[in-house]
Amino acid sequence: MKGKLLLAGAMCVAMYAMPAYAKDSKDVTIVLSENVDMLDPCMSTRSNIGRVILENISETLTELDVRGDKGVMPRLAKSWEEVNDTTWRFHLREGVKFSDGSAFDAQDVKHSFERTFSDKNSCEVSRYFGGIKVTPKIIDEHTIDFTTDPAQPILPLMMSLLTIVPSDTPMEFTRNPVGTGPYKLTEWKPGQQIVLTRRDDYWGKKPAVEQATYVSREDSTVRAAMVAKGEADIAPLIAMQDATDPKMDIAYPNSETFYLRIDNAMAPLNDKRVREALNLAVDRDAFIGTLLPKGVQKATAIVPPTTLGWNPDIKVPAYDPDKAKKLLAEAKADGVPVDTQITLVGRTDNFPNVTEVLEALRAMYEDVGLNVKLKMYEVAEFENNYSKPYPENRGPQLVAAQHDNGRGDPVFSMYFKYDSKGRQSGISDPHVDDLIARATAATGDERKKLWSELFAYLHDDVVADVLLFHMVGFARVNPRIDFTPTIATNSQLQLSEIGFK
Amino acid sequence: MSRLFRQRAVTSLFSLLGLIVLVFFLSRLTGDPTSLFLPIDATDAMRENFRELHGLNDPLLLQFWHYIVDLTHLDFGESIRKARPAIDVVIEAFGWTFQLAIMTMALVAFCAIVLGSIAAFRVGGKFDRLVSLVSLIGASAPDFWIAIVAIVIFSINIGWLPTSGTGSIAHWILPIAVLFIRPFGLILQVVRGSMISALGSAYVKTAKAKGVKNTPIIFVHTLRNAMLPVITVMGDQAAALLNGAVVVETIFGFPGVGKLMIDSILQRDFNVILAAIMVTALAIFIMNLLIDVAYLFLDPRIRY
Repeated sequence: MKGKLLLAGAMCVAMYAMPAYAKDSKDVTIVLSENVDMLDPCMSTRSNIGRVILENISETLTELDVRGDKGVMPRLAKSWEEVNDTTWRFHLREGVKFSDGSAFDAQDVKHSFERTFSDKNSCEVSRYFGGIKVTPKIIDEHTIDFTTDPAQPILPLMMSLLTIVPSDTPMEFTRNPVGTGPYKLTEWKPGQQIVLTRRDDYWGKKPAVEQATYVSREDSTVRAAMVAKGEADIAPLIAMQDATDPKMDIAYPNSETFYLRIDNAMAPLNDKRVREALNLAVDRDAFIGTLLPKGVQKATAIVPPTTLGWNPDIKVPAYDPDKAKKLLAEAKADGVPVDTQITLVGRTDNFPNVTEVLEALRAMYEDVGLNVKLKMYEVAEFENNYSKPYPENRGPQLVAAQHDNGRGDPVFSMYFKYDSKGRQSGISDPHVDDLIARATAATGDERKKLWSELFAYLHDDVVADVLLFHMVGFARVNPRIDFTPTIATNSQLQLSEIGFK
Repeated sequence: MSRLFRQRAVTSLFSLLGLIVLVFFLSRLTGDPTSLFLPIDATDAMRENFRELHGLNDPLLLQFWHYIVDLTHLDFGESIRKARPAIDVVIEAFGWTFQLAIMTMALVAFCAIVLGSIAAFRVGGKFDRLVSLVSLIGASAPDFWIAIVAIVIFSINIGWLPTSGTGSIAHWILPIAVLFIRPFGLILQVVRGSMISALGSAYVKTAKAKGVKNTPIIFVHTLRNAMLPVITVMGDQAAALLNGAVVVETIFGFPGVGKLMIDSILQRDFNVILAAIMVTALAIFIMNLLIDVAYLFLDPRIRY
């Protein structure tokens, strides 16, 4: 074919045009799975933006230790203390400069906070402060107080989400992020690449990486190929079927938990025996290493085991279809309409093999005599079923979803997933509401105990949902790079944690 | 000619307006960008603020009125997703698509016309059979598969070309080669068919009887007469390329308009959808006009 001839001819040109990768280069290329639409620091809780910005360009007052178990560590704040029940005082690091040359002080913190809650933008970070009134007060240049109503025992942890911008940053979304981090944005060609360059005037330890280039490819095969070929150094996310080289590919918990939310208000799902049957009918082991990768962990809570208060005493329901059938028969004898059609709602592209996984679940439910229909929706349509207000005349529903909480505390999940007023709650139980409220306000061991109690109550007494798996992701890392992905890699990728072998 | 232009401009304007109305209302009926932009655990206050900020609380007809008024000032609105003017986003992406489409179509036209004409001259000959086989395979192979296989062969195994991305001439080769295959196969078949019937005409016999050589018979006398159906099919194929080559753009990480449109539809980024439709519609309108003009030159009997 003529095309091939032309191709061959053009290849001579190509050989010269190819970028050369020197072995001792201190530059890295990171290939992301999604295009980066915006780069506003206050949007860095969105994973694709966070991987570029968080702690690279913009820093936070505190930081959660995801590699060890030191909990909340200082970053831009040197230290903090509780002044009284409702007030936290943060002592800020001195001698820190933004990449635009201005000095970092309490005014910047106050502005960053106010900007996040401004009605001129749609900053994501503000969601973590929903229902809380926070008043920042500058004490001196490097001391700031936050008074909260109600009391926020985990305010230092919440501060690990708030990125600090200089006080002259406009309230509207900016496309020119300025921060105190070890890197600054030096090039952004939308759809092509983003380049961060190391700063010489960074306050902290100088990282090894001099320059980082971010590109995005939606196809996992291409991302894997780029690292294999040396065009990229790190692909934080590749599909299971592309993770074929143990020398480069690393599995890591991606902080997502896959579960089926049960609509507890609708018959027959309002009967506890039916909900138990839904749990007993699933052969969880059958998924591991087949439709789902080997490293996935069976879940007993909606948050991963690294979370405060995770309860090791809760047992994963055993696969017992006979007991499930028996429970359904009992329920039927009591007049529960167990033959009603139940809709299993899923989202296309939610994770690899999602349709096959849901088909298998549906088949397992049919085996115990339930009448389940699978419906796959694209994201917008799915959202209508996933979040309140739920559609009228929806019938009994199981919603298959993933929930991401790698932030160390259940508070970011529980209200929202289980409180009677929670936007994505399938239950309404006053004892649950009470436990959530008390745990949210508690500190230390008391907090841990209350969360543990809540997890056990939800799993064993309410049987609120069908908790399935804590998922894993695969990263491909070029052998010249020293980098280990963690549970935080789903939301950030600190260039200072990358070394060279 | 100017009458042709006026006529086409008026009809195109009406269809464009119809398209805007349709897309404006249909896209808004199918979903709300609020829940797609904001995280699922966003507070009600955040949702309310988002709707207010982007005018989504106004009645639909009022939103439409605002949109049309802004449009008369050539203001296409902001992209919700990218927080910058929608038209800038679209023009940036369309530039890539346009270059890709032009280069691919030029290569396709050249190869398909030359090879198709030669194949038609000796119908059933070895060359004809080979070309037909190759073009049939090309026209029927799925492009996502070709793209991945091409990357595996040329980038990974042989290592001649970069896997994907932009930046150098080498980055263009694989996307163009993959895009080339299908229209090449199709147009080659049309050229061949059209040439076979033209070569059977009386004037070809006359030319042969006069002793004219084969090359001028094919490329001077017959080809011009055989070009009309070819131009029509090429127009179709070029329009498809101008709408963006979603698969190729996705796999090779090319920031073109096809991928942009799909993403904007999924995210309900209304202003970008509308701007992208208007820009591509304009391009296709101009291309159709050029095709009409080409008809005039190729066949003087055609009058508009």
